[in-house]
Amino acid sequence: MERKKMSNKAKIQLIIFLLVYIAVGVLNVKLGGLPPTPAEALKNVANRWILGPSSGPWYTRINPMTIIMSWIVIGLIIWFARSVNKDYSIIPSKKQSLAESLMEFVYDIVQSSIPDERYARITFKLAMTLFIYIAVSNLIGGFIPGISVDVSKTILENGEVVRKVKFILFSDTWFPPTADLNTNLTYAVMVFIISQYFGIRVKGIKAWLKGFLEPVPILLPMNIIGELAKPVSHSLRLFGNITGGGILVLTLSYFVKYMFLPPFLWGYFGIFSGLIQAFVFSTLTIAYISSQVA
Amino acid sequence: MDQESVKILADAIVTAGKAIGAGLCMGLGAIGPGVGEGHVGGHAMDAIARQPELTNVIVTRMLLADAIAETTGIYSLLITFLILFAL
Repeated sequence: MERKKMSNKAKIQLIIFLLVYIAVGVLNVKLGGLPPTPAEALKNVANRWILGPSSGPWYTRINPMTIIMSWIVIGLIIWFARSVNKDYSIIPSKKQSLAESLMEFVYDIVQSSIPDERYARITFKLAMTLFIYIAVSNLIGGFIPGISVDVSKTILENGEVVRKVKFILFSDTWFPPTADLNTNLTYAVMVFIISQYFGIRVKGIKAWLKGFLEPVPILLPMNIIGELAKPVSHSLRLFGNITGGGILVLTLSYFVKYMFLPPFLWGYFGIFSGLIQAFVFSTLTIAYISSQVA
Repeated sequence: MDQESVKILADAIVTAGKAIGAGLCMGLGAIGPGVGEGHVGGHAMDAIARQPELTNVIVTRMLLADAIAETTGIYSLLITFLILFAL
């Protein structure tokens, strides 16, 4: 095989990227204000930046980081889709062949588990959308050192919660939207409702209800709990992986005194584990729907 | 004992309980996924040794099964974080 040389442009880009990385690392060590103890560094790790009144119903409060990062992910995906669509041709470009092979890979899985064409197409759309969104949002922290939001929470005597928000540059990865349980639970509940709806439409409501009495009627509560446990385990699996990875990255980047930037450490939890979890999430979507349809 | 030292002792007991609980939770919770993933990996190796031409398919399925076997470990990680930071 002929060895391909790097173009000059790519070399210059790589050198600039590495220089910026090293400069940011040195600045981090000099000016980052290292916390004196590990306990200090991990004190606020479980707190989230929340806007809205501290009392009142749950839907009046929002988590701004999730919303901002979700829109960034959506923007990235739309930009990629538009750039593929712009020079769409029979002889595919690099981007187009990436998108096509990805879709073919997922469509093969869908077709092998759902033979009915009508349901296979819509399941494919759902699973593919979830896969792309979750994969991009898990990868997003990986390449650029990000802004982390440090929130200290104190509870006053009268039960009021006071949150102080501090922005820290380059000491953590970007916040992936999948590290918030609200995002994952939304998708898991959506998949649950869609799969039950398909089940009712395919079998008819009588046969669907009768399915809960299989194999013997005494197992009815077991069957109901088994169905309800699906969205819980579906969402918590992704949430636990990504959040646990984020906290481990924070710990490790404290132990190396922020000299190696978190994006290097994010390599395992974001790129390897994140892609696998995105794949698992979409495969389980297909499996749950096919268990109702087939 | 006066009021002050009782308070300090109570705090110390709470901290000790949290540390012991978190350590036990993570340590015991990691046994199951370890054994499970070991089984999955071992059988995948057997299958690859028997049919090397199916390596790609087997590795994809193996990773999927690994991720599902990992779930209980992830639950115990979550509970550990809850004990340490939220309780």
